Parts: sequence; structure tokens; C-alpha cells
Amino acid sequence: MPSGLFLGDAAARLRASVVAIVDDAHGSGRGRGAGRGGHGAGFAWGGGGGGGGDLFVTSAHVVSSRKAVVVTPDGRAVEGTVVGRDVDRDLALLHAPEARVPAVTCGDPYTLRPGSLVFAVGHPLGVKDAVSVGVFQAVGAVPRGYGMAEQRPRRGRSPFIPWVQADVRLAPGNSGGPIADVEGNVIGVAAMIVSGLALAVPAPDLERLLSQS
Amino acid sequence: MVAVHARPRLPSTGVHWTDGVVVTTEGTVRREEDITVTLPDGRPIVATFAGRDRGTDLAVLRIPPGSLPVAELGDPAVLRPGNLVLALARLDEGGARAAFGAVSATGGKWRAWKGGEIDRWLQSDLTIYPGFGGGPLVDSMGQIHGINSGALSRPLATTIPVGTINRVVAQLLERGYVPRGWIGAAMQPVRTDEGGGLLLVSIEKDGPAAKAGLLLGDVIVTSFDQLLDVLSDDSVGRKVSLDVVRAGKQRMIEVVIGERPRRGGRR
Repeated sequence: MPSGLFLGDAAARLRASVVAIVDDAHGSGRGRGAGRGGHGAGFAWGGGGGGGGDLFVTSAHVVSSRKAVVVTPDGRAVEGTVVGRDVDRDLALLHAPEARVPAVTCGDPYTLRPGSLVFAVGHPLGVKDAVSVGVFQAVGAVPRGYGMAEQRPRRGRSPFIPWVQADVRLAPGNSGGPIADVEGNVIGVAAMIVSGLALAVPAPDLERLLSQS
Repeated sequence: MVAVHARPRLPSTGVHWTDGVVVTTEGTVRREEDITVTLPDGRPIVATFAGRDRGTDLAVLRIPPGSLPVAELGDPAVLRPGNLVLALARLDEGGARAAFGAVSATGGKWRAWKGGEIDRWLQSDLTIYPGFGGGPLVDSMGQIHGINSGALSRPLATTIPVGTINRVVAQLLERGYVPRGWIGAAMQPVRTDEGGGLLLVSIEKDGPAAKAGLLLGDVIVTSFDQLLDVLSDDSVGRKVSLDVVRAGKQRMIEVVIGERPRRGGRR
């Protein structure tokens, strides 16, 4: 049996980098996931020019205003400021200097074989730091028939939007959280589900998308 | 494993079962001409429609022999609840895809809601995504234990086992369809002094029941389950004696089981 099945270590390491994001929209009801009292997820990221530990990646729809509350794995709630946003890919970058959470390591989904074990960490339906296991399917355009209208980026940067696609069970509260390979390297940011298939923004795109803030 | 293009928009998956024979699910074959399959190396080739059986949700296509390797079948006895399995698919974009889970339950013969008899109950907790119907269920050694059916998978993913596939494929290659026993009467279960029975509420003109002299209002002393067992796949042409109660009197009526008429077109 491959040792990858026993994800204990990789999952524990990744969970130490995953935070909960609470939208600071003063109950205006805007923003899915976090805005209505649920938690979105996010993770500490060492890219974007930051030193590591104070920058957090999450989904743009989780943070509707410029401020949000970042809840660390050890239960501290600290203030975060939105310093970057990419609406096309539904990503946001938060700066929370008081968080002091270890940054994740990133991996490359383009080198994964279909069927490779991957796992997601998030707060599905409010359950904190939950792990969900599944297999990687592909990274690229979502096939026709999955209920996703053909997506083109608004600014015409590339011919289609690539998504990391995985057979992993996600629920509201996973958005913005990491999807990682069997070693715990983050290969994508959980974004949405189409026809039951989990979609994530490829990790290699984060530097390019979020550094321009 | 191939991608099968037999319906608009979304391909389904098919398995190269024996040389030149591709098996997929019946529900995903929406046309019988202009069918192509995509090989593992990405090449599309023309496939001809050989037959379909709605009851077991299986359909068979023919392709040129030697186009790709033949499926490696597993030993059905090996799969037990808890065994890790993968559902594989080939959609057109990119290579193979996989969904992962464990066998939830196995069991004996069962009758699908579409009427076909399936030799073994095989359900898993994995997800049959769009395009995964017609694809194989494989174990951790890569051996195939059946074909996944989206249509039969409610609520858990259901796999049509190797034994059923071999049986149905043989009939589809020979005749293009699986003949099913048919009496030609609509019935309603009723309670009688003898226990239970089936009341004939309509009789098909020139059908086996009509030819045997059955009349509206006759009560056949049997149950739906027993009757369906009698009308199994091999029953066409067989004579069966039915216990019938007519106007309070019991009598035996012999019926020659006919063949269920095939509706023109797909449904």
C-alpha cells in the first residue's frame, strides 16, 4: 500500500497553514460563504513578495470589502487587509501581519498524473480544518457537459481558463482553501464545484495573478 | 478505454471488451449512425452500432480489430466491500480521468429498474461524473470488474458486472438486441381468497395472452416477481401453464411466451 494513503503528516503540516476568513461586511449579506456567517478558508502564502507568514490567499468571493478577520489555527482572530484581488480567477490576497502562520509550499499540478491522490483542507459547512481526500483528474479547460459555460478571461489574457480538476468532495467553506498533492504541496486554491467536480485555481498562477497588486 | 461519440455535446466512455468490440452504456448512445470513438492515442476512428439492451443499460459497437489492447478482466470474487476502486473515463479533452472510492456493497442477482437481470450487485461510493458512464470499474491492480452505469446509479454508483456484460454482449453481437419474454397484457395486483393474484386490465390484440384465450377480468394466481422470473431473457417460445381464476372458477391456461415487441428508434 503506498504510504501516500496515510496522509497524517502531510495533512497536519498543511492544516497548520490554513486559516478561516470571516467577511467583515457588517452583515450586508454580500459575498457567498463568509458573508452570511459561515467561514471561507485561506492559507498562508510565501509568494507575492512577502516574507511569509503574513500574506494569505483566499477566494475573492469570500472577502467582499477591504477588511476581513483571519482566524488562525490556534484560534486567534486577527485583522486582515485585502491587498490584491483577481476577479477573473476569484482570488484575493490578504495582509495580516499579526497572524504569524507558517507559509505553505507550492507544487506543480501540471506534473501530476490522473489518479494521483490529492487532498483539500478547509471548513466545509463550518467544520474547521476538515480534510477531504480524492484523486487528481486534470488541469486545463473543464470538459463540455459539466454545466460550465465556456469561460474566457475578461481581459483576453489566454485562450481559456485552466482549472485544476479533482474528484474531491468540497462544500461551502472550502472556498479559498488549499488543494495539495500527497506530500502536502499546494497545487491549487479551491474555487467551486461543477457537476460534483472540484475546481481549483492552479498554484503556479498565483504568483502571476497576485503579484500585480 | 475509448471515448464514445454517440450523442450531442458530451462523449461517454467505452471499453474495448474483445477484439473489435466496444461496450458502453445504452443510455449514452443516442444515435446509431455517425458514431466515432477516440483511441488512447487521440486518433478518432469510425465505429458501427451493433446493438443495445435497455434493460441492462448496455450497448455494443464494432471497430476494426487490433485498434487497441483488449480489457484485462478481474476475478469477480476478489471485490468485497472496502476494496479500493477507481472509475475510469476517457473524455475527449486530454487523457484518462479517474474517480476514487471503495466498494460499498456486493450481492447476488437483482433486477434493474429498466427490467434487465443483472448477475451481481456491485455498488461503490465513488462519483460517476458526466462522461463516466460506460467506463470501467478497476481494482488496485488495474483489472476490470464491470462497466459503470450512470442510469442505474441511484444513489450509489452501480457497476454492471463482467458476467452480465459477457452474456448480453454475446446476444447483442448475434441479434442486435436481447429478446425478452412478453405476455401482452397489463395487470393489477389484487387480493383473492387464494392469496394474491394479478388481474388482467388490458389485453394486447394478437399478443400471447389474447392468443391463449385470456380475457379481461381473469386473475392469474401469481405475483409480479414470479411472473417476471418466468418472463426472463431465455423464455421466448416457451409454454407456461398459468393458474387462472375466471368468474370464481379456477382453470389452467397455457400461454406461449412471445417476444416483447421492439419499439422503433431509441426509446
